[in-house]
Amino acid sequence: MGLFDRVFRGSDEMYAKAEQSVDEIIAKVGPDAPMNMPNTGYFLACNYAYLGRKITKVGELKEALADVRSMMTKEQRTRDVFLSGIGTAIAAEIIEACKYVETETPYEGTLYHGHLTDAEVRELGVPLVTGDIPGFVVIIDEAPSDEEAAALIKGYQSRGIFVFLIGGIIEQAARMKIGMGFPVRVVPVGEDIWAVGHVISLVVRAAMIFGAIQPGDFAGFQDYTFHRIRAFVNAFAPLRDITVACGGGAIAMGFPVITNETENIWRVPKSLIVQPNTQEFIETSLEARDIKIKVTKIDIPVAFSSAFEGEIIRRPDMQIEVDGSRLDCCELVCTKEASEIEDHKIILEGPDFDEFPVGTKISMCYIAEVAGKNMQSDFEPVMERKIHNYFNCIESVYHTGQRDMIRIRVSKSAFEAGFRARHFGEVLYAKLMSDFGAVVDKCQVRICTIPEKNAEYRALANKTYDARDARLASLTDESVDVFYTCILCQSFSPSHVCIVTPERLGLCGAVSWLDAKATNELEPDGPCQIVPKDRPIDEDLGTYEDVDEAVNKYSHGALEHVTLYSIMQDPMTSCGCFECICGIEPMSNGVCIVNREHTGITPMGMSFSELASMTGGGVQTPGFMGHGKHFISSKKFLKAEGGVGRIVWMPAALKETVRTRLDATAKDLYGIDNFTDMIADETVVEGDPEALMNFLTEKNHPVLSMEPLM
Amino acid sequence: MDIKTCKECMQLTSVEEFEAATNRLLETGAKVGADSWQQRVKNQTPHCKFGEEGICCRICSMGPCRITPKAPRGICGCDVHGIVARNYLRFTAGGSATHSDHGREICHTLYQTREGGNYQVKDPEKLKRIAGEWGIETEGKDIYDLAHEMAETALMEYGKPFGVQRFLSRAPEHTRELWKKAGIEPRAIDREVSQSMHMTHMGCSSLPEALIRQSLRAGLSDGWGGSMCGTEFSDVLFGTPKPIDTTANLGVMEKDMVNIVVHGHDPSLSEMIVLYAQDPEMIALAKSKGAKGINICGVCCTANEVAMRHGIPMAGNFLQQENVVLTGACEAIVVDVQCIFPALGPLSKCFHTKFITTSEIARMPDSDFIHFNVENAGENAKAIVKMAVENFVNRKPELVYIPEMKQDATVGYSVEAIKKCLDRVTNTHVDVTGTTKPLIECIDSGVIRGAVAMVGCNNPKVRPDTAHIELMKKLIANDIIVIVSGCAAQAAAKAGLLSKKAKTLCGEGLRRVCELVDIPPVLHMGSCVDISRMMVLAADCSKDSGWNISQIPLVGCAPEWMSEKAVSIGNYVVATGIDTFLGVDPYTKGSEEVTALLQGEHGVKDWVEANYTVELDIEKLCDKMIQRIEEKRVALGI
Repeated sequence: MGLFDRVFRGSDEMYAKAEQSVDEIIAKVGPDAPMNMPNTGYFLACNYAYLGRKITKVGELKEALADVRSMMTKEQRTRDVFLSGIGTAIAAEIIEACKYVETETPYEGTLYHGHLTDAEVRELGVPLVTGDIPGFVVIIDEAPSDEEAAALIKGYQSRGIFVFLIGGIIEQAARMKIGMGFPVRVVPVGEDIWAVGHVISLVVRAAMIFGAIQPGDFAGFQDYTFHRIRAFVNAFAPLRDITVACGGGAIAMGFPVITNETENIWRVPKSLIVQPNTQEFIETSLEARDIKIKVTKIDIPVAFSSAFEGEIIRRPDMQIEVDGSRLDCCELVCTKEASEIEDHKIILEGPDFDEFPVGTKISMCYIAEVAGKNMQSDFEPVMERKIHNYFNCIESVYHTGQRDMIRIRVSKSAFEAGFRARHFGEVLYAKLMSDFGAVVDKCQVRICTIPEKNAEYRALANKTYDARDARLASLTDESVDVFYTCILCQSFSPSHVCIVTPERLGLCGAVSWLDAKATNELEPDGPCQIVPKDRPIDEDLGTYEDVDEAVNKYSHGALEHVTLYSIMQDPMTSCGCFECICGIEPMSNGVCIVNREHTGITPMGMSFSELASMTGGGVQTPGFMGHGKHFISSKKFLKAEGGVGRIVWMPAALKETVRTRLDATAKDLYGIDNFTDMIADETVVEGDPEALMNFLTEKNHPVLSMEPLM
Repeated sequence: MDIKTCKECMQLTSVEEFEAATNRLLETGAKVGADSWQQRVKNQTPHCKFGEEGICCRICSMGPCRITPKAPRGICGCDVHGIVARNYLRFTAGGSATHSDHGREICHTLYQTREGGNYQVKDPEKLKRIAGEWGIETEGKDIYDLAHEMAETALMEYGKPFGVQRFLSRAPEHTRELWKKAGIEPRAIDREVSQSMHMTHMGCSSLPEALIRQSLRAGLSDGWGGSMCGTEFSDVLFGTPKPIDTTANLGVMEKDMVNIVVHGHDPSLSEMIVLYAQDPEMIALAKSKGAKGINICGVCCTANEVAMRHGIPMAGNFLQQENVVLTGACEAIVVDVQCIFPALGPLSKCFHTKFITTSEIARMPDSDFIHFNVENAGENAKAIVKMAVENFVNRKPELVYIPEMKQDATVGYSVEAIKKCLDRVTNTHVDVTGTTKPLIECIDSGVIRGAVAMVGCNNPKVRPDTAHIELMKKLIANDIIVIVSGCAAQAAAKAGLLSKKAKTLCGEGLRRVCELVDIPPVLHMGSCVDISRMMVLAADCSKDSGWNISQIPLVGCAPEWMSEKAVSIGNYVVATGIDTFLGVDPYTKGSEEVTALLQGEHGVKDWVEANYTVELDIEKLCDKMIQRIEEKRVALGI
């Protein structure tokens, strides 16, 4: 009995379980009952990806199983092991899918998360490319002790690694009171080994969404997962055959398996690694998958990691709150002369946190004063916007808002660990110096908790904000000399190129023209390269020879033309991590926009997931376009097709986000007041284009008098 | 279900394309009235049946005696088995002498090294390592004093009166015991060759078993003696090879440049030619003659030597040597020793090509002889390069045709380099570095099924290169890693199998290994003398795995061999415990007894746990190798 035989035996086991699940569900609901995984446009993603099967009925699971069986060949060759392993993952997905036939929420009321939505997959795009999430680990079965389980999970968390848990370790984590859930990047997927189907579903969807890998392109998925998904597995002893079979699938995809099993196991370099000492799992695993963690040593008494970004501090757990909604607060980055500041000096004006009673809402301002030969005032807002992210990475501290509308909560546990006001200064100093070292030579932080003084600081800050807003308002596509590329996403979406202009930020919403400019300055050979605009073809449409050259070059020939302001003619491509998707609604000749957070259906009869699956992966799909929320209110939005007047439907929440600026744009363009109210939302129209037409007619929406789109 | 992506699929150059190019070149040859090996094969066919079966004896002048059913014994009374075995031993002795003498030349070159001289010690660490193995004190010694001491010690290995080869200490304990028990531990190298000649003299040995035993011992004196000295001290002198990119096939010749082709085996000459071809004075001279520069390319094992140390392109292997002249673009073909067709002399006269012989060991008619010696190496090399450059103006443009065939290759996988590559897939938290263990783990788990060491020449009896290429393709598709040297390596290079892109032609297991280790599936280990590297690798694998060499799922293969050296190699590979598969018969089929000794279950196999398989059908040869590898896996319980 060798390694290969263990895989074959385990895959048989998984197959038998899948067959049993399918037979049972067919017997119960009949073969024609619908089979839908919730909130995904990719059906049963593993089946769709590897087999090219769009499963929509329960009976079709049976056919898929026949395909799986045919993959489980048993020659003594790695090929057979790889195919059987992937077959095992597909079978696992089928077992899990059977649970979703009768309910969308089979795991409600349990510890388990189950299926991951498309929105969740897409949310991972940006942190993955920026390295905030350097990789994923799937931890299977029970650790030798609860304490070790907790240490392992926390260890990964503190390194920013996204953690999926399967089996007994979930109970261990629960017993150790580890916070779990998608936002804190520790997902307890399911109780049984077949829960891996959910993880692989996420993996293959990432390949389809970001990599434009076509369903059925088996080789394409192999290549993508091997080269681009930094995942790995930790499997605890005793390893069962069925786990070994899943491991075969993982290794086939390029994900190494690290185990403490020493009996009946065979070492395979960089693929199947036996590490008897579970204390060393993390370091062994990271090296196996070539993950290097960027560590910024910060002198604070609590942990600092992107894994804590999703953490929420509830009122009873709160030691102190900085409350910008009622008191004078602000955060500011401002440029100083080098002689005016002292590097790494942290000045605290006023009482520290231990001088306030528990639960006090305080006034606090913090100002990072930076100096550097290459510093430009345009970089200030770029740095300032990162403060939100920096402070959220502090364990047991949470931050929302920006400028003078901030709220920060410091939990009791952070306070008890010794966290004080000056530690915010330490975080700002360390992160600004490491992220912006190319332009910041010196940095000093001023923190003030004196209300009277903060009123002055706030007034001062407001002057800066106003000046910046004026600068931003003056920044139009016409007023600048250059645009920038952003190819940050190419590690996942190899042929996608964003062209970032002042009025059109990156589709992820995370890269504005100023960000791109700063990035270019910080990393001259980095993802943001200058695109001159010396050779316009049609500035109204947003076509430039320079832009075409740039997209051609940076997409490695995949794209020839991009029209910046059109959805119909050579629209800009998407990587897959876009905030919103916009698609044409044929009956009204308008467009519907739906944001990632909205799970309902649009008048086009499709949800965000389904619409999003029409584009992405660096492919041009006329009629569909991914974009950032802020682009919606731009005068350049659909300019070629007549502008924002084309928008006929948006989710209500999104309308509220963009209302002020959108109304102003419509007023400028068409002289219409309160344009946002003319746009339908899910409260009046869901999947019905007729109802949408009635609404638009009733509101006398400007689209009705526009030319047909097609 | 296809796991491989087509977009990255590797396009190999086929043997048909090789042949089309050759045919086009032969047209040029016909125009100028040149002879060709293809024609000479026709003239020599059918070959003498007695010779082919090894049953002709002309060791004394009473004969020649030829064995037939009616005349079953020679005049002296020697039977067919004795005659076949004697011929086999003489053949071996010829090969052993040749390889070992190459090694001796290298030792002499090492003795001539000095600071700032023509020859220097490029890998002092390796020199010290070998000194350590040989128990020679290195501490506080000037590296050149050490080099001279080592050279002298190595030269003593050729004629020392007592004891066995020093390098035997590199073999695993079990192998050494087998050798001892079988009485085949090689003593002084020259002694084994001399004794072979003595044993086969009229009126000495006619006992097949004794003659075959000495064949193994003479072979071992080559592989673990002379060849190993050649390899190891070449590394000390010219650097231990590490992976380097180059190109291969006739397309490496440059139309607008002075083409100097180096051919033969001994790197002492070619290293100097490479050096002086980069001399600004020479390049300026080339430009003054209307050339864009000087292009050095190699043929045969000299090509392997300079490719793996300098990335010099490889124009081709043994049966391509006439083709380089037929391009009409070869200003000079500079040769040292071994495998050089005397045909090059008359052929070069049909073109402007200078055929330059340099060694007193390989003197040929119709050549310019520039006696190359270590003391005047620089001057000699410069004179040779100058002669070639000045010859550029004599090129006849109407005769120039360079086939546009060229493939990328990564070469230079010495044992040291292989271990370094394997280090890349170790995990510092669980593994040690500097061993073959990652390879062993791949074999143990089944990801790689085993390994084939493919070596040897070209032989018109086999459609040139077909056997090499077809075998390699099938082996790698079956997750069997292939290590190559000599002309087999160049066949692989010409086809494209030494390119890292060739991983797409592998089974999934080997493909993954190639991807992770960043190697091609066919590893170039050097020239034919470097088969000694393969012995060291096998020995290290044995030590790292705890398996005996004969237990490792590893076989040797020489599908297109032709030279005496190849038989010597075969003997030491088998004697080391590695089953060896031949695609050309070694002149032994006239004797059932000798055939049984070499290929049966109770001949050499009883002594050294390995034997030969001779199979002329290439398809079957491959299946038999795969089968043997799988049998070894079953025997190990893996």
